[in-house]
Amino acid sequence: MEKSKKSTKRLAAAKELNKAVGEYYLECAAAKEQGKPVGWMPPMNGAIELFYAMDLQPVFPENWSPVCAAFGLTPKNFEVSEGMGYSRDLCGYLRNIVGYVNGPMTDPAIPLGGLPAPDLLISPGGGCVPVMKIFHALERRFPEAKVFKADLPQVALEEIAPHHVDYAIQEMQRLIDFLEKATGRKLDQDRLREVVVLSDQACALWDEIMSFRRTIPAPFSAAEIGIMFVMVTRQGTRQAIDFLIKARDEIKERAESGTGVIEEEKLRLFWDNIPLWYNMGLFNYFEKANAVVVAETYSAAWSIRLDPADPIKALAMKSLMSYPLVSCVSIEKRKEMVLKACREYAIDGVVFHRNKSCVPISLGQMDIKKALEEELGIPSVIFDADHMDARNFSTAQFQVRIDAFLEMLAEKKSQV
Amino acid sequence: MSQPDYLQPFADCLTQSSQRLFDQAEAGEKHIGYFCTYTPVELIHACGFVPIRIMGEPGVVEQAYSLVPDFICPFMKCALEKALNGGFKYLKGAVQGYTCDVSCGMANIWKENIPGELYHTFPLPYTDAPAPRDYLQKEFQAFIHKAEQAGGEFSLERLQSSLDMYAVIRRNLLSLFQSEKGGAPVLNAQERHIVAQAGYVTPPDLFLEMLEALESRKPFDSPENQGGIPVLISGSLVESFGVFDAMEKAGARIVADDLCSGYRNLLPVDGSGSGPMERLIDRYVNRFPCPSRCRAEDRFPLLMDRIEQTGARGLVFLIQKFCTPHLADIPELTRLLKAAGIPVLVVEMDESWRMGGQLQTRLEGFVEMIDGMSG
Repeated sequence: MEKSKKSTKRLAAAKELNKAVGEYYLECAAAKEQGKPVGWMPPMNGAIELFYAMDLQPVFPENWSPVCAAFGLTPKNFEVSEGMGYSRDLCGYLRNIVGYVNGPMTDPAIPLGGLPAPDLLISPGGGCVPVMKIFHALERRFPEAKVFKADLPQVALEEIAPHHVDYAIQEMQRLIDFLEKATGRKLDQDRLREVVVLSDQACALWDEIMSFRRTIPAPFSAAEIGIMFVMVTRQGTRQAIDFLIKARDEIKERAESGTGVIEEEKLRLFWDNIPLWYNMGLFNYFEKANAVVVAETYSAAWSIRLDPADPIKALAMKSLMSYPLVSCVSIEKRKEMVLKACREYAIDGVVFHRNKSCVPISLGQMDIKKALEEELGIPSVIFDADHMDARNFSTAQFQVRIDAFLEMLAEKKSQV
Repeated sequence: MSQPDYLQPFADCLTQSSQRLFDQAEAGEKHIGYFCTYTPVELIHACGFVPIRIMGEPGVVEQAYSLVPDFICPFMKCALEKALNGGFKYLKGAVQGYTCDVSCGMANIWKENIPGELYHTFPLPYTDAPAPRDYLQKEFQAFIHKAEQAGGEFSLERLQSSLDMYAVIRRNLLSLFQSEKGGAPVLNAQERHIVAQAGYVTPPDLFLEMLEALESRKPFDSPENQGGIPVLISGSLVESFGVFDAMEKAGARIVADDLCSGYRNLLPVDGSGSGPMERLIDRYVNRFPCPSRCRAEDRFPLLMDRIEQTGARGLVFLIQKFCTPHLADIPELTRLLKAAGIPVLVVEMDESWRMGGQLQTRLEGFVEMIDGMSG
């Protein structure tokens, strides 16, 4: 078994995805050349739609990290950040992006043209600490960029009250004021509504695509989860809709024709936590035991529907809910969500990636594990790794644990 | 823990707090635990609960690993271990001011696994302006409502009196953490932290009486002025006083700290405003910065102030292993401090808090290096 491996993909959408990734990064570079303001921001918040509505270019350093992992750039980036004094105990996204901007960023040979330097930084207050610290480091690296110091209450979903929503709306308005002042562009409310409609359509399509995975056999596995790229980078655009419609049609056709990921799907798995970006091939590993990862926590963050009747409020709600939904801010709701998915997707077993690079998702996993066993009788396994740093992943430990787990699941299923 | 007689009541508090708090709980006192100094203790107190800081205890972590991964800070692991072993049975719940990812997750894990009646996390704003202050007022009102449902009773008069009491406590503590005339504090590092940490596990009215009694014993015959290279320590919580001993053995004298178990908790001592609620809000939007909520650049001038006020000649980052907020600030702070001519050493502590031979040697080397710089 290899430490780093690309996944085997069966969807034609995978080819479309490569194209979409290339086009997005070319667009980022072109924006800079054309003088369109470029803003770096964390994903999973309503700033994306504002950017597209104001014809600004959003860039997501977090999303660049999986690209670095796929192209093998991560070790060099780690070398740079660790040389600056960043501890190996810190999140791999942080070490990767800090290393990249302080090292290879200026190398003209960087794949996809690399990232264009930011004119704007949407620096979060709230969200996870590593992302906050990434943006503090970016503020240092790009002192000429205009900085918006964002502020968002971190509230468990079940605790969100009107005053949290009101404050998030005020913050959204403050961001609009900042962008208008910094770029000289005025936000057109009708255009914003159009963008929010498109973003909501993308969420509806995403939900529909995910729902086909309830079919047995599942039409695609977590090995193809890269298709969520457009949900991260293109929310609120026609490109996202076009990509998702094509993917949806293909997946629907596979589901209706009974075309599964593998010939004989015997076990259906749920994956918790971020994938190992340097080893997406791991998702194919399960296939040797006729097991398929048919659902995961991470993809659920892109399902938050937006109400176009009140675009600003919709974006404020998205900002409030996205991060808590997948993190330890909202363990109770996350548990409910995993249990619901396990029922709906006929899950036989759950694989918990205990991720050294993501404390907020790793905290709460044991409570979810316990609930799965007690409430649904679904067994689960935990393995230790890291979504960015291959040095924290032991293939031997993974194989021993997963092989035994799959064997146990097969045995359990044969007794039913 | 034997101490000079003026400190013995505080040392006793630390060793006997669990039993004493348990007895008080049996008698009807309602204690609420909190992890972090961004928790508005005055508000909890004004609602009729006694805020008690949840501390771990250095030692072996076993049971906690059934609920959390090993790559979180020793403080949180040890606190959970103690809770799972029944060490916090006197608490009626846990309340937390949102700071780092681990404290946020731990507050929720605590709620899931440690029985209690009142749990709350305050999602504090990151900026200071009229809108976040207005938001924070509503957030405090929401907590009051929750506390009342859990049997608490609130009034603005009670809040006023809680604010007054905590301000006096902090002012008294501050007088121990800094000299009245500048220079070294009146107690040594271990003594200062014994007093401060006793305050975390003692009802505030009782603690205030103890502080007033201590004040009457001044001047102390603290061994502070015995020499050694003056240093500032920076980090989150220090739960083992042995660390201070080890640093002193290495030839350092800890003249100041930037710890949330020490000096950082004391500032500002109070807030200002037209009424008690405004005063409370003012304090919590103006807290002495913690790395989980601010930039390294915001902390640097404050560290330099402490260095200049106390004559510290070096800075030791005393970090809990896996503490992301502190670890992430270290590269930039180190760069800035070194540029200002301040030598820096980073020491990471695990849950045993043992200063092993290797660390001791590094500390000794650091102190010798600073000493050599003056020659």
